[in-house]
Amino acid sequence: MNEERLRALLRETRAPGEAEAERRGLLLVNAAFEQRQARPGRLVLPRLAVALAIGTLLAALLLSPAGAAVRDWIDDVFTVGVQDAQPALTEVPGGGRLLVQSARGPWVVQPDGSRRLLGRYGEATWSPRGLFVGAAAGHTLSAIEPDGTVRWSLSADAPVADPRWSPSGVRIAYRAGRALRVVVGDGSGDTLLDRGVAAVPPVWSPAGHHLLAYVDAPQTLAIVNTDTGERVGVAGAPADLREFDWAGNGSWLLFATRRSLLLRPIAVDKLAGELDLGGGRRIRLPGGAAIESASFSPQGETIAVLLERRDGDRGPRSEVLLIDAAGERPRRLFSAPGHLSDLTWSPDGDSLLIGWPDVDQWVFIPAGGRDRIRAVSDISAAFAPGEPGLASFPRVEGWCCPAPR
Amino acid sequence: MGTENRLVREAQRDSQAALTELYSVHWRSAYRAAYLVVHDGTAAEDIAQDAFLAAIDALDRFDRRRPFGPWLHRIVVNRAIDWARREALRREVAEPASTPDPPPPPEAVGETMMAALAQLPVEQRATVVLRYLLDYTPGEIARMLDLPRGTVNSRLRRALDRLGDLLGEEQ
Repeated sequence: MNEERLRALLRETRAPGEAEAERRGLLLVNAAFEQRQARPGRLVLPRLAVALAIGTLLAALLLSPAGAAVRDWIDDVFTVGVQDAQPALTEVPGGGRLLVQSARGPWVVQPDGSRRLLGRYGEATWSPRGLFVGAAAGHTLSAIEPDGTVRWSLSADAPVADPRWSPSGVRIAYRAGRALRVVVGDGSGDTLLDRGVAAVPPVWSPAGHHLLAYVDAPQTLAIVNTDTGERVGVAGAPADLREFDWAGNGSWLLFATRRSLLLRPIAVDKLAGELDLGGGRRIRLPGGAAIESASFSPQGETIAVLLERRDGDRGPRSEVLLIDAAGERPRRLFSAPGHLSDLTWSPDGDSLLIGWPDVDQWVFIPAGGRDRIRAVSDISAAFAPGEPGLASFPRVEGWCCPAPR
Repeated sequence: MGTENRLVREAQRDSQAALTELYSVHWRSAYRAAYLVVHDGTAAEDIAQDAFLAAIDALDRFDRRRPFGPWLHRIVVNRAIDWARREALRREVAEPASTPDPPPPPEAVGETMMAALAQLPVEQRATVVLRYLLDYTPGEIARMLDLPRGTVNSRLRRALDRLGDLLGEEQ
C-alpha cells in the first residue's frame, strides 16, 4: 500500500468523542497537577504514594470514564473502600429519605441519618410523595406512615410480593403468589388483574394513567388499564427477563436480562386508548458483563446499569455505566473490585447510591461528574443496632422525596 | 521543540497554564494513537489519561533535554499494546455467551481504514500508528518498542501489504 495514502487515511480517521474525552481528561490532569503542587517532598514520592496523597483526585478519577490502568491504582489503594468515607450514617448525602430493608425489616432513613424500623415486613416501597410506605409481610399488604403507624392492612390468599405504588398515589399493584392484584391507596377495591404472572415486579406507567405493565406466565409483556381491566398493549418479553423499567417521560421501556439490555419505544394513543410498542433495540455493553441491575433516571433521560464481570484471577469486578435514553454514549461512572449492589437514583436524578457490601459502604456518586464522590461506612451495623457481628448488608428499596412539611 | 522544552520547564515550576498547553498540544495525538491500536474509545481514553498522569507524576524527574512527545507516545503505545493483548486473551478464555460486542463504528471517514487496521495483529497496528500517524522513523520506533530495527521494518512491510490487500489498492 502507498505510504502517503496510508498516512492520509490515518490522519482522517477520528476517534469517537474526541472533544468530550479531551475535556474530561483535562479536568483529571488539572486535578492531578494541583495535588502535585500541594504535596510536600514530591521529588521522591513513588507513584502509589502520590495516589494516596491525592484524595480529591479520586473523585476526578472515578467520575471520568477513566480507564483500566488509572483505575488500577484505585484498586490498589482503595480495595478497602472509598477513603474519607463518613464513619457512620449521620446524613443522607444529597438529601432525601431512604427506605432500607434489613434482616429485621424496613427502615426509613431521614436526611439527617436518623432512622426508624417500621416492623417485621419483608418488602417495602415508597408512595410517590413519601407520605406512606407499602409493606408486605407473609400474606399481608399494609400501608404504613413513615413513623411506623399502620394505616390499613389487607390479607391475600398467597404470599404478597413486589408492592408498587402508582405515580398518582392512588393505586398499589402487588403480586399474591402467581396472581397480580391492584388495590386503591386507601386499602379498598382490591382487584384481581391476572391469575398467572411471572416473578418480575410490575411497573406503572409514569404518565399518570393507571396503566400497569407486567409479564404474564407465558412471558408476554402485558399493559393493562387498571381502572377498566382492559389490556391496552401486548408484546413479547425476553424469556429470561429479570426486571424492566418505564422511562419517566413515558417513551421507552427497558428490559434487562442477565446478559442483555433491550430498549423498546412506546407511545400512548390517548384517543384510541391503545399503546404502540416499537421494535426492540439492543444496548451495546462490554463483553463478558453480567447485568446486575438497570434503571432509568427519574426524568428518563439516562439509564444506569450495574455490571459485573470476571477480572482474571482477581475475582469479580463491578462497574456502573450511564447510557443515554436512546441506548447510546455509554460512560463509565464507577468501577470497583468485588460486588456492588443497590443501584438507586436520587429523587432529582443528580446522583446514584451504590452499595459496596465487601467494604460495608454506601457510595454516593454524582451522575454529572462534577462533584466529589461521598461514601458512608459501617452500613450493616447502622441497621442492626445491638447485634454486633451479626449484621448483614441491607438492601436499599428506594430513595424518596424530601420529608413532607 | 524549543517551545515544548519551555512548557515542560514552566510546568516543572508549577505553571498550570504550561501544563494545559502541553496537554492541548498532545492530547489528540495520544488519544487517537491509542484508539487506532485498541479500537475501543473508552480504553483509548483511559490509556491517554493514564499517560498524562504518569507524565505529571514524573514531571519533576523529567529530563528537559529529551522531547516530551515521544516520551508520552511511547507510554501510550506500549500501554495500548498491553491492553489489546489482555483483551485478546480475555476473549479467548471467555465463555461463548460473553463474546464481546464489536466496537462501535468509527465516524464514517475512517470506517474502512479502521476495519482494515482491525485485521492486523496489534503489534503491526502499533508500528503502523507510530510510523504513519505519529511520523516516527523505524529507528525511533525500534527504541520506543524495544525491538530490533529489522523487526520494525518487517512489521511495517507486512502491514502495508496486508492493508493494501484489504483496501483493494495496488502496491
